[in-house]
Amino acid sequence: MRYGGDNRSRLLLVILIVTSLFLITLDLRGVAVMSGIRHGTQSALAPFQKAASTVFSPVGNFFSDVAHLGRTRTKMKSLEDDNAVLRDKLLQQKSLAIQLSQLKSTLDLAGTAGYEVVNAKVISQGSSASFTQTIIIDAGANAHLTRDMTVICGQGLVGVVKAVYPTTSLVMLASDPAFKIGVRVAGSQEIGILSGQGTNTGVLQLLDTQSSVKRGDVLLARGSQGDKPFVPGVPVGEILFVADSAGAVSQIAEVKYFAHLSALGVVAVVVKAPAADPRDSLVPKPPVPRPIPTVTIYATPSPSPSPSATAKK
Amino acid sequence: MYARRISLSGIVFASAFLLQEAVFDQIKLPLGGFSFFLIVALCWAAFSTPEVGAISGFMAGFLMDLSPTSDGPIGQWTLILIVVGFGIAFLRYGDDSLRGNPLSLIVLVASAVVVSLLAYLVLGALLGLNLGTTFQVLKNIIGNGLWTLAIAPLVLPIVSRLHRAILDTRETL
Repeated sequence: MRYGGDNRSRLLLVILIVTSLFLITLDLRGVAVMSGIRHGTQSALAPFQKAASTVFSPVGNFFSDVAHLGRTRTKMKSLEDDNAVLRDKLLQQKSLAIQLSQLKSTLDLAGTAGYEVVNAKVISQGSSASFTQTIIIDAGANAHLTRDMTVICGQGLVGVVKAVYPTTSLVMLASDPAFKIGVRVAGSQEIGILSGQGTNTGVLQLLDTQSSVKRGDVLLARGSQGDKPFVPGVPVGEILFVADSAGAVSQIAEVKYFAHLSALGVVAVVVKAPAADPRDSLVPKPPVPRPIPTVTIYATPSPSPSPSATAKK
Repeated sequence: MYARRISLSGIVFASAFLLQEAVFDQIKLPLGGFSFFLIVALCWAAFSTPEVGAISGFMAGFLMDLSPTSDGPIGQWTLILIVVGFGIAFLRYGDDSLRGNPLSLIVLVASAVVVSLLAYLVLGALLGLNLGTTFQVLKNIIGNGLWTLAIAPLVLPIVSRLHRAILDTRETL
């Protein structure tokens, strides 16, 4: 049966439509009551929306994320790439901070002795296949470097320049088995020859058969004629172990290098030695022992039961 | 009796409105999602006589106008839902083939949702509202229609029972 309608329903429809048009007109004319009603509705809805948000926010984006899985993956990939770039930057900053610290200590050492230096960055470690202990630095003939110049870092001797190229130089480290340097013991001024042995320790052979060294003695470079290959006064290492051999002609000791030759970042090449020998001024200061706090505990013994008290029981 | 029915209908609409604003608006769905309140209101109108359909449309439209997310003037949704509510009730009430077929009712509700949104779009354009890009608008309208086709079968039985309980209609799904 088709609904035909009547005058009453038509009148109702017209009244409702006119009412809605009236509402539109009022709102468009900016009657404050209309916006107040909407604000009131929002105020009433807010607690429900907050409560629902707490419950539904974890799953709110679920369907959207499922639908946009491809886009989400792309975004994740982009974020991972950004993360990798930021991590790289962070590592670079850490590396730069370490290099800055090394440069500062190197300049401190050079400044104390009065060495004129050219700073350089280590750009390559020597190949392990060649069995030599070398590094390549980013300063060469263009920076007025020549062969047989002393190379130092903040802790002391690093090695000597063995080959010079226009923009780079090859440095033989003090740990190289072919490396030899004349040294003297700070304080006693005993002299000897220190040889590298491919590790972070070298071997010292004293020249005077009557002289002796002890553990902890500091070795400094004696210096060469014309300050090449070694300038005087550079800290080299300290005695780690003294070999007591009754039949030996001279005393032999194992020496630990001050410089961490496997972790070099920034070094300095001494291009001009000071007019006066710095003597023992570069001897590293011994570390100040930190006082260890002691804790005293007073234990009060509990009263032991007396024999008479036991007898009474 | 009449006032009781109106107030009970109002409670149903207010509850659906609250659900829409507090819950369904939190869930982001592809293609713009659906309007639960619009589906409930049009289903309600579809079960009613044209007069009740128009009054239901007025109540639902006024509530939608009160929604803080509605960007049109108060009365815009009211006007649209009066006409659409009357229309859907008129079509279904007078057509026996539609009355006994739930599938046709679902299609009718989905079509009514699309018509309502299109009417809102046209009226909004006449009133000078900024409604976004054509692609976005088309995506939302088509998405709403498709979502309504999916959601309406779940909503219809509930609305049918509520409608019978409140307005004492014999027809249920």
